[in-house]
Amino acid sequence: MTPLVLLANLALSFAAFAALCLSMNRHHAAAFLAKPSRRTARGLRAAGWAGIVLCFAVSVLAEGWNFGPVQWLGSLSGGALLVVALASYRPTWIRPAALLALPLALVAAFII
Amino acid sequence: MRNGFRQSMAWLHSWAGLVAGWVLFAMFVTGTATYYRADISRWMRPELPVVQQVPTPDTLAQAAETAVAHLKGAAPNAIAWYVTLPSAADPAVGLTWFTDFARPPGTARLDPATGGPPATRETRGGDFVYHFHYELNLPSTVGRWIAGICAMIGLITLLSGILTHRRIFADFFTFRRGAKSAQRSWLDAHNVVGVLAIPFHLMITYTGIATLALMYMPWGVLAAYQGDEMRFYGETGQITAPVTPAGRPGQLAPVGPMVRQALERISEPLEMLSVDMPGDAKAKVVAVFEEPHGLSHQHPQVAFDGATGAVLEVLNPNLKPASKTFTTMVGLHEAHFAGPALRVLFFLSGLMGAAMVGTGLVLWSVARLPKPGAAPFFGLRLVRVLNLAAIAGLPAALAAYFLANRLLPVGLGARADWEVGAFFAVWLTSAAYAGFRPQVSAWCEMLSASAALFLAVPVVNGLTTGRHPLASAAAGDALYLWFDAAMLGLAGLFAFAAHKARGAEALGRRRSEVTAPPIRSNALERA
Repeated sequence: MTPLVLLANLALSFAAFAALCLSMNRHHAAAFLAKPSRRTARGLRAAGWAGIVLCFAVSVLAEGWNFGPVQWLGSLSGGALLVVALASYRPTWIRPAALLALPLALVAAFII
Repeated sequence: MRNGFRQSMAWLHSWAGLVAGWVLFAMFVTGTATYYRADISRWMRPELPVVQQVPTPDTLAQAAETAVAHLKGAAPNAIAWYVTLPSAADPAVGLTWFTDFARPPGTARLDPATGGPPATRETRGGDFVYHFHYELNLPSTVGRWIAGICAMIGLITLLSGILTHRRIFADFFTFRRGAKSAQRSWLDAHNVVGVLAIPFHLMITYTGIATLALMYMPWGVLAAYQGDEMRFYGETGQITAPVTPAGRPGQLAPVGPMVRQALERISEPLEMLSVDMPGDAKAKVVAVFEEPHGLSHQHPQVAFDGATGAVLEVLNPNLKPASKTFTTMVGLHEAHFAGPALRVLFFLSGLMGAAMVGTGLVLWSVARLPKPGAAPFFGLRLVRVLNLAAIAGLPAALAAYFLANRLLPVGLGARADWEVGAFFAVWLTSAAYAGFRPQVSAWCEMLSASAALFLAVPVVNGLTTGRHPLASAAAGDALYLWFDAAMLGLAGLFAFAAHKARGAEALGRRRSEVTAPPIRSNALERA
């Protein structure tokens, strides 16, 4: 089911980029009114990169080596665009939206 | 090198981007629309039923016979005939014939059942958008060269942009909308749409050039094959082996049985029939099928001896690595493999490409604002007018193209040309308008006009065809629902942009009152 794979990919990539975004001082401060501690920043960064890798795994497993990477790159662009929009207009929504996106990705991945 | 590497790259980026920017913007917009070429074509022929039957082998064979009968009458001396066969997307037969490859081809569309004109209105549909994307509605060779040169400059702009960008990761998520200087916000926007979809931008620009690379750089093949390019295409497995004409007239065997035989050998949908040297004793008929699902764009083909109807060759491409690389690039560029979901991502990436070029163009002019009170220099005025004409004018022209399809009388002569005429009339009018109106007011007014035109598309469609959203929903017509939704979405986007431009206009007026109260008209010009 390609639309579901896409949904899982987009949700994962969004959550991953949200973590990367929040690991940065400026965006963290905009979302939480404080800079992240070094441990938090490092944890968020690790989670973000892990999410991007996981996203790759999901798209390749579901769509194969031909289409998987294409879909992976596409959903990275889409997910990141959403994060930028939130970071610019509603920075405080990034965290709840990412926490919502994770179970969504999980559900979509299970239905696949 | 001017003051070091990064600065020279920045210089290259801004000037290369400016020179090719307007053409690239048009190519990005029409190319992005081309992802929905078949849907646009279908929408522009509202006479077609909601659900179209997949043609049977009998229908296809009969359609091929009808087409060849027509071509024998219309173009007996042609050197090549191309017949697009009926499909689930379009039940008509499309004919194209060349009497000379250097001259524009003759074309016609037929109803395969009657042999007469099809029962749909005359339109170029999505094909116009597709051809404009790489030929700019110019004579084919000229258009492809201009598009190719602009794409090459575009690739240079992309690469120099990446090298110039100091903070790709640090500013990855940064879009400061309300920054103190407008230039900062535009730069952020330009960076964000450029960086976030950079894999797409690089892929689409590079593969776009690669698609026509042998046209731009034919010398290697010409030298190696002594000018016989067709032999190269045959040997690399991209087409069936070329046949040397006999030089004496011959009789073409019935094509219906050839179509049936071809359909028995290949399981993909049959797309096209080509006839090389149709009047020659060694005429060759090739049945071309749609490419199998995959990244690589390679059409299975079955070639027949035109005189006897015997199978010459079955080409079910199993390409060598170099050819496969090429067809994969073409495949990636065209994205025929993308289902509805992935297609949305390609579309979105295409829009981001257009946004990247558009913000870049605006940024060029914002970065060169004249001092308060000073008149803008000629180059800046020119850039501003062209920016307006491209960014606000082209979308309005596209909306006008759709509107003309619904509003022009169905029986009008040369109707398809009138539709294209409406497109260019609106585009040229908007360019002229941009030249006469003060800069900031023109942005707001022209973006509002684009929004109004896109809003008018579903309204006019509903009034003229009766296929408004409620009727579409009742009939299960997903295409019409999506098309209406897309038009409303675009209308909303342009309304939002117009709103923003109005804010900038008001801001400019306030600022001008503070800085230079006596010269109000001039201040408007400046902002």
